Amino acid sequence: MPSEIDQSKGSKTESEKNNIFQRLRSAIGSENVSTQEVDRVSYSRDYWPITFRWLLEGKVFTMPDFVCWPASTKEVSDIVKIANEEKVPITPFGEGSGVLGGAIPIDGGIIIDLKRMNKISEINDQNLTVTAQAGINLTILETELDRKGYTMGHFPQSFYCSSLGGNLSTRAAGELSTKYGKIDDIVISLEAVLPQGEIIKSKTVPKSSTGPAVERLLLGAEGTLGIITEATLKIWPKPEKTVLKSYSFENVQDGLDVVRNILRKGLFPAVIRLYDALETERQFYQFSQAKNRCMLILVMEGSEELVKAEEKTVETLCKDHAVDSGEEPARHWLEIRFNVKEAADFAPKDVIFDTIEVSVTWDKSMNLYNSMISAMKKVNGVFYVSAHASHFYPQGVCFYFTFAGVPVKAKPEEFYGKVWDAAMKATIDAGGSISHHHGIGIMRGKWLGIELGESMETLKKIKHALDPENIMNPGKMGLQLGENKKE
Amino acid sequence: MEKIRKNKWLIKLVVKANLSTKSKLVENLLSAEKKYLPKDKTEANAKNVLKCALCPNMCRFDCPVLKAEKSEALSPSGKTRVAHLLETGKLGYCKETVNIFYRDVDCDACKQWCPFGFSVGDLSIGIKRDIAKRGQAPPALVAIKEKIVEQHTIYPERITSLDLNLKKTKADVLFFAGCTTLNKRKENAIATTKILEATGVDFAVLEEEWCCGYPLHALGFQKEFQAFAERNLRAIRETRCKTVVCSCPSCAYMIKKIYPSGGYEVKHSSEFFWELIRNNKLSLNGVDGEFVFHDPCVLSRKLEVYEEPRQILRSIPKIVVKEAYSNRKKTQCCGRGGGLGIVDPALSLQLAKNRVQQLKEASTSVITACPSCELALKEADETIEVMDLSEIILAALKNDGRKAREES
Repeated sequence: MPSEIDQSKGSKTESEKNNIFQRLRSAIGSENVSTQEVDRVSYSRDYWPITFRWLLEGKVFTMPDFVCWPASTKEVSDIVKIANEEKVPITPFGEGSGVLGGAIPIDGGIIIDLKRMNKISEINDQNLTVTAQAGINLTILETELDRKGYTMGHFPQSFYCSSLGGNLSTRAAGELSTKYGKIDDIVISLEAVLPQGEIIKSKTVPKSSTGPAVERLLLGAEGTLGIITEATLKIWPKPEKTVLKSYSFENVQDGLDVVRNILRKGLFPAVIRLYDALETERQFYQFSQAKNRCMLILVMEGSEELVKAEEKTVETLCKDHAVDSGEEPARHWLEIRFNVKEAADFAPKDVIFDTIEVSVTWDKSMNLYNSMISAMKKVNGVFYVSAHASHFYPQGVCFYFTFAGVPVKAKPEEFYGKVWDAAMKATIDAGGSISHHHGIGIMRGKWLGIELGESMETLKKIKHALDPENIMNPGKMGLQLGENKKE
Repeated sequence: MEKIRKNKWLIKLVVKANLSTKSKLVENLLSAEKKYLPKDKTEANAKNVLKCALCPNMCRFDCPVLKAEKSEALSPSGKTRVAHLLETGKLGYCKETVNIFYRDVDCDACKQWCPFGFSVGDLSIGIKRDIAKRGQAPPALVAIKEKIVEQHTIYPERITSLDLNLKKTKADVLFFAGCTTLNKRKENAIATTKILEATGVDFAVLEEEWCCGYPLHALGFQKEFQAFAERNLRAIRETRCKTVVCSCPSCAYMIKKIYPSGGYEVKHSSEFFWELIRNNKLSLNGVDGEFVFHDPCVLSRKLEVYEEPRQILRSIPKIVVKEAYSNRKKTQCCGRGGGLGIVDPALSLQLAKNRVQQLKEASTSVITACPSCELALKEADETIEVMDLSEIILAALKNDGRKAREES
């Protein structure tokens, strides 16, 4: 049967492609470069919900020309140099769990899959650090730490299916981040290949005062400014004690106030999650005491003394404002926290589900929550919008919204775009940041300039200086697409 | 009822939604899905393949094939994404697209992490049946299928009988050694029969044992598999046994879970031995030594037998049994599952080496309960010792661990 898959984008002739193929093969070994259709199709997407539509409809909108599996930083650098000389775009690929299209090779070219770069070179007990290559899967990394008695404390919902490099490149956040920090707080130093093949490596020191931290430009750059190849990160001895607590509040505001006061005391429970009434009904329908109320989940862990202090403070602060719901709801959350079922359940039924995470300071938090919910609900076809607050700071909070809807008199992609536009505009109007931890990718690209203002111009200048051929993950983060395509 | 409680939030919202949204939602919930599924009837469960394809690949970290091969096309959801495109005619069947489904160990590691309880191995069997029906199965595997059909076992030694001279065709217990044990680990079968004899169990063996059909089943040769299943079922029934005891977890799995019910119980030998010990029909003397138990994935995951082997080992005085970090249902495949040993011996060997490395952290003396695991682990590392549970039990019966192996 003939293939119905579209052929790849880009302007290279077959003979030019063949030349590049040969160069890549001699750089990293012929078995580590593929041009097979099955590989090109398999690297044509990530976990951006638009790609669910592609899969359902059997369309492949773009494909890489080459998939490369380098084994070392030197090999990554060699590929990048070839790509510069040949003017071929590169899309770095970890595990493809990004939800905004950041790993989609929209202009064809080379996929650099980092999965062979998965070694842990050192776990240092005295310094409490781990050094690992960027292609390692997060669960595999954490399992190795666990075997030796440590934790990195980084458990995003994509814990099973994301790579260290992908997390660093999107400035991801784990569910225990209120205690352990986000990945950009956890990382100490890194090694990266810049867009012209230069290799940079920062020093592993707890802190330095040596000018701007150049390597930190790579954090959150989603591969547009280079490829992170290795990192050294903070680890902790495994917690001595873990305590689970749950409370239900009459409304979101009461819950936020209590959490704010916990943090004001300088206490940082590992997990704090506050669900609005609708999301409580969806996630905690088994717990009747939470009916029509807002569930707060807490996981406190660490040394005995610390956990005791946290538990006592939490009890005191919740006492007058909440109903104690015991351990069970928190245990339930621990059990289901990595279940991601919505897309598989609803996408084939043409019900569109997605999540949007934003951050805001305390003083604007309720206004942002209310205006986002109302903005998304206004889009024709949206029948569900809820939120939970998932990461907390003494200064503010991250809200994680979920919406569901059906395209009424609109194409699914159009409907999806409308909800996102409403959400992004409401966030900006309410003084929040358009992304707390999923990143920008393709989906948020057009909003990044509004978010950053003049800084967007600075980002473009940096991009141009580091990547004059514009080969590193072009078309992402609101940056221009291909060599011939001006904005 | 539970489903209604669980979806109450959704029902309430549907009721509250405006008319145009409501009617679109109901229309989509009832009829959208079928336009994305294959038009013709497929052997593959197309709905579940699509669900798996729409997952972010949450089980990927535990997939032994992906861990070794590092390629998205060989990741669990990567396979079902390609399968969906093939089954709906959007991608053409060719050597490369077809081959990914055979690079599978059917180990069910994925199933443990799947909120829907899918096994990509199980889903792939349906896909491989569709491939076989289209005549697109890899020629080398078709040749192997024909060999199995002709000689009733995959092994060139062609041994299909235990040849015990029991002269007994009917008994309460039927010992089904399995063709891997018969051809490659006969010692295990002999040890098992000695244990059965020592405990006075009334048992018979089949005059001629055909392969249980696992390779035919796993590789998608359904018609041929059914012929094997029917023949074995008939032969087993003729013995009027109440219990079938299998040395090989795959045989036990096929006879218990895949064959139609035959009116008898099916037990892996480790379950049967533990029953004998628990009922004081088998008491064991001490064995010196330190061992690690490797859980075969078919035994621990598909049959959910992982405590019985440990209980047996705990009932042996003096023996020290350590645990691998990945144990019980969290074991890691030896690399021979799903017929991978035939399909891709190099990859299979790599998986075995990965597992041996984990086991060696606990001990270099390995006890397992599957002839295929035993062969795989031995091939991966000649410096380790690998024994079947039956051999260690026999050794404990005789109170001489090392000698038992020589005798058997």
